[in-house]
Amino acid sequence: MSNTLRPYLNAVRQTLTAAMCLENFSSQVAERHNKPEVEARASKEVLLNPLVISRNDKEKVLIETSVNSLRVSIAIKQADEIERILAHKFTRFLMQRAESFVILRRKPIEGYDISFLITNAHTEQMYKHKLVDFIIQFMEEVDKEISEMKLSLNARARIVSESYLSQFN
Amino acid sequence: MILLDYHNRIIEDTLKARFNPENKPKLVDMSIVDFDGVSYHISTLENQETKLLLSIRWKCWPELIQYGAESVLKREYSQWITQPEVGYDFSLLFDLENIGADPEDVIRKVSLLKRNAMAAPFERAFDAQALAEKEEQWDPTTSQLMTIHYREGESIFIQNQQDRVTVIFSTLFKEETDRIFGKVFLQEFVDARRKPHLQHAPQVIYSHREPPLEIRHLPGLEDSESMGYITFVLFPRHFVSGQVREETISRIQIFRDYLHYHIKCSKAYMHSRMRARVSDFLKVLNRAKPEHHAVEKKLASGRAFRRT
Repeated sequence: MSNTLRPYLNAVRQTLTAAMCLENFSSQVAERHNKPEVEARASKEVLLNPLVISRNDKEKVLIETSVNSLRVSIAIKQADEIERILAHKFTRFLMQRAESFVILRRKPIEGYDISFLITNAHTEQMYKHKLVDFIIQFMEEVDKEISEMKLSLNARARIVSESYLSQFN
Repeated sequence: MILLDYHNRIIEDTLKARFNPENKPKLVDMSIVDFDGVSYHISTLENQETKLLLSIRWKCWPELIQYGAESVLKREYSQWITQPEVGYDFSLLFDLENIGADPEDVIRKVSLLKRNAMAAPFERAFDAQALAEKEEQWDPTTSQLMTIHYREGESIFIQNQQDRVTVIFSTLFKEETDRIFGKVFLQEFVDARRKPHLQHAPQVIYSHREPPLEIRHLPGLEDSESMGYITFVLFPRHFVSGQVREETISRIQIFRDYLHYHIKCSKAYMHSRMRARVSDFLKVLNRAKPEHHAVEKKLASGRAFRRT
């Protein structure tokens, strides 16, 4: 783990742990509705200040909190065209499976690559610290996975071109 | 399987089965496709089970004929050539009772039908180069630029010069991912050529979007982000008559398919990787759910009960 990654992840972990104190809260606007306030944005007083933790201009995390829900959006490192397409493919692949990832949002927030939406129902059903662990592990592995995919693409291209050209010898 | 075969496997297998005298002749009617939009049709003649007709259809056939495909095909398939079937460009007719040559040999030749048709412009360019090399004062205007529009939106350009033959592929990457993967692959081709043990390979030049100088004047070149141009520079040592020449022709022809095949393979590999990674993530997320221990509860009377 590089030097800047550890404090970055630590900061995210601490913030998430602090932010994840959610309680059941019915809508103040519509009777018998209960929706994630961070998405509905119907009443201002239940929204907390959003917070951005950024490692550099490309990699950052946006944490938006409300009384009964929490939204985490992650911008993944994309150094070049290949990483951009791989990150895009990977996040799209994940988001198509949002049903099995209960906390995953089907669409990312604008400016970010992937978003999670955690509601009070999730924190009631699942261990809070393990949810935080999941997001941290996700952030670690996404970078790793993308760089590994890029390496394997390059390795494949090299083998393919060499075996084609070596036929001419 | 890294390298692709030059011949058509289905034709090979079908003919093998048909040419085997142990198999009783029976009616056949199959349509086969190959790379680059080629389609074949293998059928038996009506009421004549021992007569096998094989036809090929290819969009660029008139161009190939113009560049001398007829003589190449005559050389390879003289005794079997027949009137083209309706709707096809070229047909071969075999009499299963009298094939007329070693069956193995025929099968090999016939399964290379597409390759042989495409070989004509290459052979013409190679021959023209050989002539030009002998001349002291070669007139550059006599070099011929042959264009074969062999796929929708994609072409091969072959040009002979005094000391070399240039083959240019224009290729279209249909998707953004293909385009980027293609770039990585083609860049590797250019780089691999610089390795000391690959110095004998023809020089590969790759340009993206911008057509190479040789073909820049041609009309109808599509100008879009998804176009790529690959140039192979072939020197006389690459097309010494005989085995080397045949191999080079086959190899250059298959290049586009080879490239795109591997792009697709990498995409498939990425996909399977992502699948594995997603199931890993799911496992981690499921760890966050507390496990429910199904403890069997009993009533005071000792009867077990299960809450639904």
